[in-house]
Amino acid sequence: MFLRQREPLIFERSVPGKRGMDLPRLDVPEARDTRPGHLRRGGFDALPEVSEVDVIRHFTRLSKWNYGVDDGIYPLGSCTMKHNPRLNERVAGLPAFTDSHPMAPEALVQGNLELVYTLQAWLQEITGLPGVTLQPSAGAAGELTGVMLIRAYHLSRGAQRRVILIPDSGHGTNPATAAMAGYDVVELPSQPDGTISFADVTDPTSGKVRKGLQTLVAELGPEIAGAMITNPNTVGVFEYRFKEISDLLHSVGALVYMDGANMNALIGLARPGDFGVDVMHLNLHKTFSTPHGGGGPGAGPVCCAEKLRPFLPVPVVVRETEEVREGKGTAHTYRWDWDRPQSIGKVHTFFGNFGILVRALTYCLSHGSDGLKAATLRAIVNANYIRVRLQGAYALHIDSPSLHEVVFSDTLQAKHEVHTLDIAKRLIDHGYHPPTIYFPLIVPGALMIEPTESEGKEELDAFCDTMLEIAREAEEIPAALHHAPILAPLRRLDETTAARKPVLRWQKPAVLPA
Amino acid sequence: MRYLPSSPVEDQALLDAIGVPDAEALLKGIPEPLRLRRELELPTQSAEQEVAWQMLAMANRNTRFCAQFLGAGAYDHFVPSAIDALVSRQEWFTAYTPYQPEISQGTLQHLFEYQTLICDLTGLEVTNASLYDGGTSCVEAALMAVRVAKKRHTVLVSRGLHPLYREVLQTNFAPHAELNLIEVALKDGVTDLADLQAKLSGDVAAVLVGYPNFLGAVEDLAALAGPIHAAGALLVSVTQEAFAFGWLEAPGRVGADMACGEAMSLGNKPSFGGPFLGFLAVRDAHKRELPGRVVGQAKDLQERLGYVLTLTAREQHIRRDKATSNICSNQGLVTLRANIFMQLAGPDGLKGLAAQNAAKAQFLRQRMLELPEMEAVEDQPFFNEFVLRYRGDYSALEAACLQESLLPGLDLGRYYPEYQGCILWCATELHSRSMIESLVETLARVPATV
Repeated sequence: MFLRQREPLIFERSVPGKRGMDLPRLDVPEARDTRPGHLRRGGFDALPEVSEVDVIRHFTRLSKWNYGVDDGIYPLGSCTMKHNPRLNERVAGLPAFTDSHPMAPEALVQGNLELVYTLQAWLQEITGLPGVTLQPSAGAAGELTGVMLIRAYHLSRGAQRRVILIPDSGHGTNPATAAMAGYDVVELPSQPDGTISFADVTDPTSGKVRKGLQTLVAELGPEIAGAMITNPNTVGVFEYRFKEISDLLHSVGALVYMDGANMNALIGLARPGDFGVDVMHLNLHKTFSTPHGGGGPGAGPVCCAEKLRPFLPVPVVVRETEEVREGKGTAHTYRWDWDRPQSIGKVHTFFGNFGILVRALTYCLSHGSDGLKAATLRAIVNANYIRVRLQGAYALHIDSPSLHEVVFSDTLQAKHEVHTLDIAKRLIDHGYHPPTIYFPLIVPGALMIEPTESEGKEELDAFCDTMLEIAREAEEIPAALHHAPILAPLRRLDETTAARKPVLRWQKPAVLPA
Repeated sequence: MRYLPSSPVEDQALLDAIGVPDAEALLKGIPEPLRLRRELELPTQSAEQEVAWQMLAMANRNTRFCAQFLGAGAYDHFVPSAIDALVSRQEWFTAYTPYQPEISQGTLQHLFEYQTLICDLTGLEVTNASLYDGGTSCVEAALMAVRVAKKRHTVLVSRGLHPLYREVLQTNFAPHAELNLIEVALKDGVTDLADLQAKLSGDVAAVLVGYPNFLGAVEDLAALAGPIHAAGALLVSVTQEAFAFGWLEAPGRVGADMACGEAMSLGNKPSFGGPFLGFLAVRDAHKRELPGRVVGQAKDLQERLGYVLTLTAREQHIRRDKATSNICSNQGLVTLRANIFMQLAGPDGLKGLAAQNAAKAQFLRQRMLELPEMEAVEDQPFFNEFVLRYRGDYSALEAACLQESLLPGLDLGRYYPEYQGCILWCATELHSRSMIESLVETLARVPATV
């Protein structure tokens, strides 16, 4: 795995005169220099002089310090680290896709438009929502687009509403998005089972009363633009009163936004459009297996109800069907509709992360309706298997079947002064990527485990055996866990000092006088 | 289903261990009236071969070209083979965001190097681990400038900025009634200094200027910086073609306080507009207002050097509604492509490629101007794009080009009514002399319009 202890920064390997790229022969006259003198490019301080061999070895060695989905289970809850099929990569790399230009006339990119149209049709059926845009670049960008649709809808009805309700169990992107869209955020408290509380909640320690959904709707009614609700929620549980929640919100004219980060637990089982959702986003890099790429690129399509369709970002793909003569059936042509007077406008320079859309459609076609549903069920069974195997050794946050993920807390280990961070770091020593930790915020010392459908029994058992061993270690040799990891290329890193005295780029060392 | 690693016996073993007869028994948490009690009306699963053929057929419905003379924010450059080979390593493309630094040093060190090189190209001190694309980078830059400037509510945007970037800005400014987005006119193809001066006031937080601008012209940032700084505003340079950094002085060295834009040119193909690579580089003093992920140096328990995600107190997962932005992901794998590209190119490669781009564009322009229907519009210095007026009919020109498998430049009138009848042309190192000659010959044969 880790063959070398250290790979220097490429800048430290730079040697004058080396090159990693040979330029083609110039077959036209050299450029005349028309630049004003002060706009001529001066020198570079960091660009290295290295050969192709150096670069290939540099990135190959660095790669070995990463953990990927192909190394084994990647149990990050909410992140949905599933298998990344290689066919998807191959298709996305077809030159007919990668060479196509976003400003090319529609007639020349019919394949791309057909792809957009087809993927939209899949997402419509999967979510039960008729309007779709594929433009947002990521989940957070989808959220922002969705909230802007809500805003445009209210404005079109002459209403300035200022509040968005968000449960305290929600992803941080929800409140950040609402703020970016100009809204005030009001937090909805959860009940002990992680679902939204209708009643007011009294904090047992401070005695502070937090207003529940019912009170907030009664008090803020016409000020509420909408609510952003993750379903299944971040504890892995279906908001079982979702219909009541959406009916209550709709009764005061508010709209319901669903954070679809966990849609992989619902595909084929339930459709947001059928239970009161007005608008939602999907994460193609979670639910539809497009690779996470060390942080991106993702894609965050937004699906919406009919009443929000007029506000979707421009352009919208349109299919025109033509009767082919002599009974040969029909032919389809596709075009962009830019003439959408109520549209919120553009949310991406072009049409979104198109290469990611190609992978997502390939995933859909491979799975089909039956494969998608089988994947959903398999992910749920896997999560519950982990729940059953680890309960007792770790404290379960909720003692009932969960959907695609299961959340434990560190309360049993905390008795031995072993905390979630120690457990996570110890997993690294055992050759696993840790689960999501300290999220959701409503669970103390949360360990959020999502195996996805990509794991078989053998891998699940090996992971659970390791977790049980760590639980034993926590009792028997607790101090040792504070030192984990010891087998990774580096020990625990001092993030506090890193933030206090940030070094955010390499700088050429100053030459010291002799 | 080939992606599900289970056998019926194992499936049963899992269910037995859980203590349920079937998976359905685990779904009781979903209220019955909300369940979908039918199959999705979609095709059923397919073999890899079937899907491969279906997708290939779809891809082939796109028209292919021998050469594309269209830039306008998406540039066709040569991509070295090392890039595809390296990014296809699973350790890079299947890994998650590096929240656990001990098991993600590869991604973190790469991002630290990437940040270093973006700072080098732009001549600024701090950058993040990338933004979505050029248009959204302008939004983040403008909103950041408003935070930095404090109590200033206006952002001026040069009409020379990419028209689609301006549309994305408009979309994102619409929810903020307290903020104004005001356009600064063009004169002779560059930002009109007089109009800029008239619009500068104590309420202006920042001015966004294309460098080069959408029309290909090189804006003199140094000349614009004077009045902008005198008004207490920030100059934000917006570069949509990152190869220009090998030709033009770093914006941070000629007056820009922030530099943002699109860096897809570094190791990526046009890809129908995405995934692309937004960047934003700023001064050190402003770093705590930067949106998005940032990687910094750290030491481990044994004082060994490593890298971590840092300055997270700005971000949504910590600050929630008080965060500098809602952005959570970055364009990870695209940053990797760009980093590999920059390292392969090095200083000589980047400058050399840029010089070739300038040479090809100058040659294309010179040859075109020999055609009677083509006419110079402005005489601004340019990099690899330029505008010419065409006396003929664009659709006839387009048809003739397509017949020869050539994609012509952009019909500018659609975005700039004042440039009706003008075409924005682009040439890069990919355009051989013979391709350029064949374009010129094709244009010479376009039938004259009545």
